[in-house]
Parts: sequence; structure tokens; C-alpha cells
Amino acid sequence: MRNWLCSWRRDREKHERKNSEQIKRTLGVRRQPPGGKGSTTVLVMNNVSKVYGSNTALTDINVRIQPGEFVFVVGPSGAGKSTFIKLCFREVLPTSGSIFVNGCDVIKMEPKEIPFMRRQLGIIFQDYRLLPDRTVYENVAFAMEVIETPHRKIKRRVMNVLDLVGLRRRADSFPGELSGGEQQRIAIARAIVNDPLLVIADEPTGNLDPETSWDIMEIFKEINASGTTIVMATHDKEIVDGMGKRVLAIEKGRIVRDEQHGGYGYEL
Amino acid sequence: MSFSTKEYFVRETYKSVRRNGFMSAACISTVAVSLLILGLFLLLSLNTNNLAQYLESQVQISVYMEDSCTADELKATEATLKKLPGVVKVTAISREEAKKRFEERLGDQKQLLNALGESNPFPASFDVQVDSPERIKELTPKIGELAKVETAKFGREVVEQLFSLSRIIRFGGLILVFFLAMGTLFIISNTIRLTVFARRKEVTIMKYVGATDWFIRWPFLLEGMTLGFLGAVVASFFLDSVYGAMLGRIHSTLAFLPMLPATPLLYYVTVFLLLIGVGIGALGSYISLRKFLRV
Repeated sequence: MRNWLCSWRRDREKHERKNSEQIKRTLGVRRQPPGGKGSTTVLVMNNVSKVYGSNTALTDINVRIQPGEFVFVVGPSGAGKSTFIKLCFREVLPTSGSIFVNGCDVIKMEPKEIPFMRRQLGIIFQDYRLLPDRTVYENVAFAMEVIETPHRKIKRRVMNVLDLVGLRRRADSFPGELSGGEQQRIAIARAIVNDPLLVIADEPTGNLDPETSWDIMEIFKEINASGTTIVMATHDKEIVDGMGKRVLAIEKGRIVRDEQHGGYGYEL
Repeated sequence: MSFSTKEYFVRETYKSVRRNGFMSAACISTVAVSLLILGLFLLLSLNTNNLAQYLESQVQISVYMEDSCTADELKATEATLKKLPGVVKVTAISREEAKKRFEERLGDQKQLLNALGESNPFPASFDVQVDSPERIKELTPKIGELAKVETAKFGREVVEQLFSLSRIIRFGGLILVFFLAMGTLFIISNTIRLTVFARRKEVTIMKYVGATDWFIRWPFLLEGMTLGFLGAVVASFFLDSVYGAMLGRIHSTLAFLPMLPATPLLYYVTVFLLLIGVGIGALGSYISLRKFLRV
């Protein structure tokens, strides 16, 4: 019993030390100027393949995404876009190859380190994934609470991001009372509230009408302009063409096109 | 762990217990019943043990004489007994006195003795007080071998039977408590499973925004511990009243039974039950978390 307690305490202390080291490391990286000399490539995939059972989802993917980039991932349904996105935040592990997020080896990382890697990411989904029994404010603050941010910092920061997405006045509403576009804006606020290096969005405008989609894209532009890297999987031809950003086209699990100022490139 | 985080855990636990109101209540009652039974067995076993120890410490040998012995022989035996090493006091009880004492003990039912008529079946006897319990064991057989002594007894049989009774109670209680504990564990882990299920969306989001595994686990673990704790509180409350009432009853009817007083015994038992409750709660939710919360 005593031994067990001791080893438990030791583990815990080790964990806490690591915790603070991790945070320091994260902050250290944040201080580097985006795109400046010595700044880490935000996302690197080397020869990444992913096989589900007998289905090959991705084959031999090689990508480098630099700080401050805005990258669209396009391609027909089932081409492997979602798998690509999931690999970025270690929702799935690749069958082979290596992935680095902000210089950290995502595959070799210990399970304990995963949360700290994810704190550098903001993840946005097509279906928003908000908590229906919490207010707008609480939904956003939740993301700060669970990474143990002190209370006094939470309120100001949440109000700031709600300002950014234009929903400060709806802070006390519940997600069910809001439109799809507004709900997605909360999801964006939640994703950026912890000031991530990389925002990963999986079809964020998939459920929205074109006009609302553009409103959402304006927010993304703003986030990107502040130096945050954005990787967005999308089906929306108009948006991709209209933004003129880097485009990665995936077909049958392979990258078939990587253009710096590309268009959607598919006829709908 | 910062204050905000602790506050967050407490808030989440409270919310969760309230949200699953019915299940939480069922869970608390199960824990309470199990712990109440555990507590009752504990008290019973402790008291039997205490009684046995009490009797063991009674340093007295009863020496029964043969019916045929004369008054001179009685006096001689008394003198011999008094000379034995370690003997503190010898009280002679004549046959008449023995009968009278028995009459007194029968109280209202002393007419039963009328059936005996004039005959007196009670032997003359001596109560021999000895200076220590250890002395009893060597003296009793020696006295038994004296002339005209029929038997010499100390309460050995009773004491040994009480000790074995206490063992049986403890053993039976242990088995019963084991199964109850299993049931309680199951109920608690099931409750926590429901909570995990109800909150799976939150858990997913927590993972995406980078909450650590233990941060995700703590509220669930606390919930289990709270349920166990509340169950133990209820059990202790009932146990206290039951034991209090029992003591009252026993004092008024069987005053000679040496019962353990409520304080500090009940304090210890309550602390013990609380610890067990919290422990079972933590274990139950841990089982559930390992099975159902893939963090």
C-alpha cells in the first residue's frame, strides 16, 4: 500500500513537472514571430498512409504547412479529407509515416502528452458540437476551464472572442435558440479561445447557406490575419475560389494538387 | 491543482448527482443498507468479544461439593482452599442458601420450586476468588482433585463458546458484507456509467480542447465517492439510533450484560463506515471509468 502510494505520488509529481514544462514550451513557441526565422513548421506529414481494415484511406501523403498559412483541403466525398483532418489532431494514428504538429512527433508522443499537443489546436466541426445545456458563454468558457485556466482570466478572454465572432450580446442564450451560423460562430469562438497555433476545421460551412458561410469565412480570415494557421476541409467551391488561398486536392487518398493560390478545381 | 479547478470539480459533481437524481438516490440507499448491515455485524461482534473478555477476566472458580459431605468436611475443605496459593477470598454457600438464591433469581416464577417439595437438589459450594485469570487455569484442576469436591468450574465453557460465537458472527458478517459490497460496487459503477454516458459529448469536447485524462476522470471519481459518502452518512445515522435504542433496552432489562458504551465506539464505527463508503465509491467509479471512459 505504502509503496503504491509512493509511486503514485512520484508519478503525479513527475506529471505536474511535465505539465509546467509543457506549458512553458508552448508559450515559448508562441513567442516566436510567425513565419520568422527559426519558427517551427506548424504541420508536417511525411509519407503518411492510413488503412482502415482493407480500405486504404490515404496513401503517401507529404505536406508541410508553414505558420500563418490558410490551407483548403478539397476533394470528392470519401477521398480521405476527413482522415487527413483527423490525423492532424491525433484522433486517428497513421498506418505508416510520421506527423509533426508544431515540431512535436504526434505518433511517438506519450498518451499523457496528447492533451498538451491539442491545446495548441482549435478544432471545428461541421455539426458544431456545442453543449445544449450550457449558455453561449459557458460553452466557450468550458474550453478554458478544462485546461485549468484561472477564473479571472476566463471572463475577459471569453468576452473578447465573443466580440470577435459578433455574439457578445447572445452570451446568455442557449445554443438551441441560435441559428446554424450563430452556433458555428460559437464553435469557432470555443476553438480560438485558447489562442491556438493551428485551427483545424472540418467542413465548417457544410450545414450553412452561402451568405452565412461567407460571414463565417470573414471570421476565419480575421483569425488568419492575426497569425493563426488554418487548415480547412471543405466542399464549398465558391468559398475556395473566392478566397484564393493554398489548396490541397485529395483524390482516392492521394494529394493530386497543391497550389499556392488555387481554386476548387472540380465541376459540381 | 488551482482553486478554480477544484471549484469546477465540485460544481460538476454536484450537478451530476442532481441530474441523475433517482439513480443517485437508489445508489445512496444501497450503500446505506449495505453499510448498515456491516455496521450492525461489527457492533454485534465487538460486543460478543467484549462479553467474552469480561467473563474471562472474572477471576472466580465455583467449587461444588458432593451431597454426602458433612459440615466438618465442608469446613476442612474451606480451610484447604484458603491455603492454596493465589486464593484471595473463599465464600461458602450452603445448600439452603443456594436454594434461596435460585428462588430470588426466579423472581415471579418461584412457585416452580414448589414442585421440588422438601428436597433440595442444590449442592453446597464455594466461590473462590483468585488474584489473576492465569491462576485459574492451574488451580481449577487442583481443586477438582480435592476430597469430597464434585466439580470445580470457572466460566471457561461459556467464555470459549462466546469467543467462537463472536468468530461465527464475524465470519458470517464478513461473507454477507462481501456480497453486499459486490452489489454496492455494481450499483455505483452502473450509476457512474450512466453519468459517463450522459456526458459523453462533454468528454469528447474536453478531449479536443486538451483536457488531461485525470481532469476528465476526477468529477466522475468524485461523484462515486460522494455517493458512497452519503450512503455511509445515512447508515451511520441509523446505526447510531439503533444502537442507542438497543443500549437503553438492555440497560433496563438485562443490566448485568456488559455492553460497550456508545461513545467512543460509535465514533470509530462511523469513521470506519465513512472510509469504507468513500472507498467503495471510488473503486466503483474507477471500474466504470476504466471500462467506459476511453480518454
